[in-house]
Amino acid sequence: MSIAQVIKIVNEMEADGIVDRYAIGGAVGATFYLEPVATLDVDVFVAFRQQPAQTLISVRPIFDYLTARGGEVEGEYVVIAGWPVQFLPPTSPLVEEALIEAVTVDVEGTPARVFTAEHLAAIALQTGRAKDHARLLQFIEAAAIDAERFHVVLRRHNLLDRWRTFGRKFLKGES
Amino acid sequence: MTFDIQRVIESKRAYRRLLAQRPVAEKLAMLDELRDRTRAIRAAAARLEATAVRESPPEYRSQPPKD
Repeated sequence: MSIAQVIKIVNEMEADGIVDRYAIGGAVGATFYLEPVATLDVDVFVAFRQQPAQTLISVRPIFDYLTARGGEVEGEYVVIAGWPVQFLPPTSPLVEEALIEAVTVDVEGTPARVFTAEHLAAIALQTGRAKDHARLLQFIEAAAIDAERFHVVLRRHNLLDRWRTFGRKFLKGES
Repeated sequence: MTFDIQRVIESKRAYRRLLAQRPVAEKLAMLDELRDRTRAIRAAAARLEATAVRESPPEYRSQPPKD
């Protein structure tokens, strides 16, 4: 019952060609850079292998692969090693870029691919729920993002206005 | 121990920084534990909700009953 086991299984799934590429996002991704952030599920972003005549993306191959290895489907989730895991396609150019530029981190001998801190922060800004704002503030307070790289990402994805609004609202008095 | 709020805030920040610097494997193991605790709290809260005794509010009339 551990996230480490989830990472191992997702690595195997990628090695077996079920998905082209995966990267961990959400609260679990943020935990690679910040203090642990309590969460009940794991968000795994995946690039799917597109079949020639396929127009709709299907998570069926992932579900079939994982249920054959003991995973259980619960709604939108597959429960692996006790953790509900949600497999998400990149839904915006920002998330697509985050998936391409994700970095590999060694977790006690197991490689884990995770979004960069700058992409996690930009996605939090773009998503914009209260908990995303809280996460973005954590990234800033922990000085976990490279300001220059972050601004390049924001500019590329037209998020500078939103960033200025966020700053006026939450970063008054911050140096 | 102090009740100086600024020192309390700074101490919390320092502790969070300390946690953030722990090895990733250790932080992921903490997530496992945090999740177990969150689930236990939620289950306990749900049990409490199910067994709570509630008093129905009295019915107020804005108009007198018709005879």
